[in-house]
Amino acid sequence: MLTVSTDKPGVIQKKRGVHRLKARMLSDRNLAVTDAFGLRNQLIHSGPPGDDVEALPVPTTLLVNSDGKVLWIDQAENYQRRSGPEVVMAALQTHLDAP
Amino acid sequence: MKTMTANRKKIGTTLGFVALAVAILAVALWSRQINQVAIPEDRTLFVAAFLAAAVLGVAAFAIGTRWFGGVPAIFAIAVGSFLPFTIAISPQQVAENPIRVGDTIPIFTALDDTGERFRSDDLAGSPVLIKFFRGHW
Repeated sequence: MLTVSTDKPGVIQKKRGVHRLKARMLSDRNLAVTDAFGLRNQLIHSGPPGDDVEALPVPTTLLVNSDGKVLWIDQAENYQRRSGPEVVMAALQTHLDAP
Repeated sequence: MKTMTANRKKIGTTLGFVALAVAILAVALWSRQINQVAIPEDRTLFVAAFLAAAVLGVAAFAIGTRWFGGVPAIFAIAVGSFLPFTIAISPQQVAENPIRVGDTIPIFTALDDTGERFRSDDLAGSPVLIKFFRGHW
């Protein structure tokens, strides 16, 4: 699993410990990765006060196969909604366990 | 007249504390939904609860409060306005040509939290779940 956010590496490390996260976590301060995927939020930028980041990604979860092809996407139409674990697990079972 | 004013302030003060109680309850329930990653699609009830706290806070001031009744009323107004505000700014929209199902992911590199450079080429041969999120915010 890979995560992408605009957090600084130090902030990611701190939060990783708090939430006991094990994923490879990337820092996308200049939104280069976010833009490569076309996931920069185009509406109101409601980022952390005092943080100089230009924008934030639209919360999105992608399942990618071993050939680099996107099998499944779950995207939030508002930032208060996240992909719940049951939704992600169902997608993994549907797409990766399929015969 | 003095007694009437005192009674009004007593009612206003009580209302201020009721507003605070509603605000605290609404925040507690909302926080629980966030922690469970279970924010409902329809947030009308939550918005109503937050707005009720704010309205009760305003009503407390309209009636008049003792000095210590104003504090919870202000808190209730601030908290009660917060959720409707965040909902108003919460809609998200991606760029014109976002990645879609069936697309091949772009080649990219980025630093991870340890300062090590990650290259998407490293993923070749393995399925991966990629999560773009708002970070700590």
